[in-house]
Amino acid sequence: MKETEFEAKNQPEWRKYDATMEVLERGDAEAVDISKVPAQVRARCLDLSLARYRLYGARMCEYLNHQVTRGHNLVAKSEGGVREKIVHFFVAGFPQAMRREWRLLVICWLFFLVPFFGIWVSYNHDQEWVHSLLGESQRQNMDEWYGKNSTGSMRDEFGSNFQMFGHYINNNIGIDLLIIAGGALAGVGSLFILLSNGLQMGAAMAYVMNEGSPERLLSFVSGHAPYELLGMIVAGMAGMRIGLALIKPGQLSRGKALMESGKQGLPLIIGACVLTFIAAIFEGFWSGDPWPVELKYWVGYVGWFLLAVYFIFVGRSTKARRIGSK
Amino acid sequence: MPRNDIEVLDTRQSVELGEGVEIHLRIAGPFPRALALLLDMLIIGATMTVVGFIVTIISAGSAAVGTGILLIVAFFMSWGYFTYFEAGKRGATIGKRTLGLRVIDRSGNNITKGQAFVRNILRLVDMLPGMPSTAAGVLIGSFGLGFFCCLFTKKFQRVGDLVANTLVVYTQPELMMTGQEPNVESLAPTVALAREEQVALADYYSRASMWSEARRIELSDHASDLTQKRGMAGMIKLLGMAKWIREKK
Repeated sequence: MKETEFEAKNQPEWRKYDATMEVLERGDAEAVDISKVPAQVRARCLDLSLARYRLYGARMCEYLNHQVTRGHNLVAKSEGGVREKIVHFFVAGFPQAMRREWRLLVICWLFFLVPFFGIWVSYNHDQEWVHSLLGESQRQNMDEWYGKNSTGSMRDEFGSNFQMFGHYINNNIGIDLLIIAGGALAGVGSLFILLSNGLQMGAAMAYVMNEGSPERLLSFVSGHAPYELLGMIVAGMAGMRIGLALIKPGQLSRGKALMESGKQGLPLIIGACVLTFIAAIFEGFWSGDPWPVELKYWVGYVGWFLLAVYFIFVGRSTKARRIGSK
Repeated sequence: MPRNDIEVLDTRQSVELGEGVEIHLRIAGPFPRALALLLDMLIIGATMTVVGFIVTIISAGSAAVGTGILLIVAFFMSWGYFTYFEAGKRGATIGKRTLGLRVIDRSGNNITKGQAFVRNILRLVDMLPGMPSTAAGVLIGSFGLGFFCCLFTKKFQRVGDLVANTLVVYTQPELMMTGQEPNVESLAPTVALAREEQVALADYYSRASMWSEARRIELSDHASDLTQKRGMAGMIKLLGMAKWIREKK
């Protein structure tokens, strides 16, 4: 069959298909009979393969290629059930990913805790390190907030709770995402940010513990620390998952390994954001408010305990494992 | 020409669908993507300015709440804008849509929300050098790494695309100008041609009217082994063979 004959024969059908696609792409599924659409797309697939086989002109092949691509994008939609996915993530995906990546969990904790305690201990021998890390202005701030003579509620100095909530969302989740993205630089970015955070927090800890009022600092951080620290560590794990694909791709090519790391790291990336979001709620609306110190400490202990229970025990049943392997 | 060489030259992604047919996706290069990005940045900037004005006016009494709202909006604009639109039905931000681009999975399907999230977190790495300030909520970087990564991957993928396994493609087919079909006698080729060679000749035939005569001759000279002639005579002979192939199919 000649190209012109083929086109003339199919033109009315193509016009109808084109119109149907336009309606569907606008999202107006009511206006057409959807049950007929898959068959129509398959018919265009047949047209395209015929046109290619018979070496019809590039213009017609391009046109049919476009029509098939449109149809495919509309018909082959795999995603759905957002609510189901969220539930799966919390009851299976996230805790399972944490257990699967326990080696990265250990490495990331080490890259945070070793500098943290290292700099803290160093204060007893040489105060220069802590002083130079904190800098003049930051030490003044710490004296003001956590000094021996500071009084009053935190929020008098910080402004309202909501402003701080906004600040923590923007800043802290931003840092998490920075840690994750830094993983793509062969993991160096993630580890560097973890390490520098460890040094900074360790220095602040050492300074306040020795020169200021430990109770003010500890009662402020205890409530949100479990979620915030773990969120940062999980971000580091996600970053390292991506970084390891470059350093140690194993049997795969580096490109394939990167793709896999994106898939495997996704629960960790989302998990880091969720944890840091929880931390921002606590930090904004709980940590700075004038509650009894003992109560604040207990909220912190319970937080650590709940996280441990969640990550050790949730998602181990056969059913959860089946969900996780999907 | 062996199959691999053809694919190296081509900036298309061929995907075989479940229906058994192969579709070709036209991959977009760095330039249209940079324009789309610029547009998106302008939209984000303008939105932030407008929201800033509105929040300042409304929260005149309590500046702290206003700042809080602004910071949250900044966070969602800088991290969520791209993810929200790319995970949507059209798979494209406003900038990409304007330029006629969309993001798809390497298999030709729409991307999942997870893929959209991953490729946009890694924007930060693609922005290097020049670390954006996340505190101010505005993500602006030079996209130097992303640009070089695009140049060194066959499918113009930046780091985020590689990790999320995505491509940026044109939504519309290549604009094909049509002219008069070449007026030549059909002529049987002297040797049997492979399928790829037949396709190349057929393409040459259907596009010939879009080129100048010098260009047509320049291309047909590459096939002088087949036609045994160069210049004008070779071109006419080649077109004749192409016509013969198309008529036989």
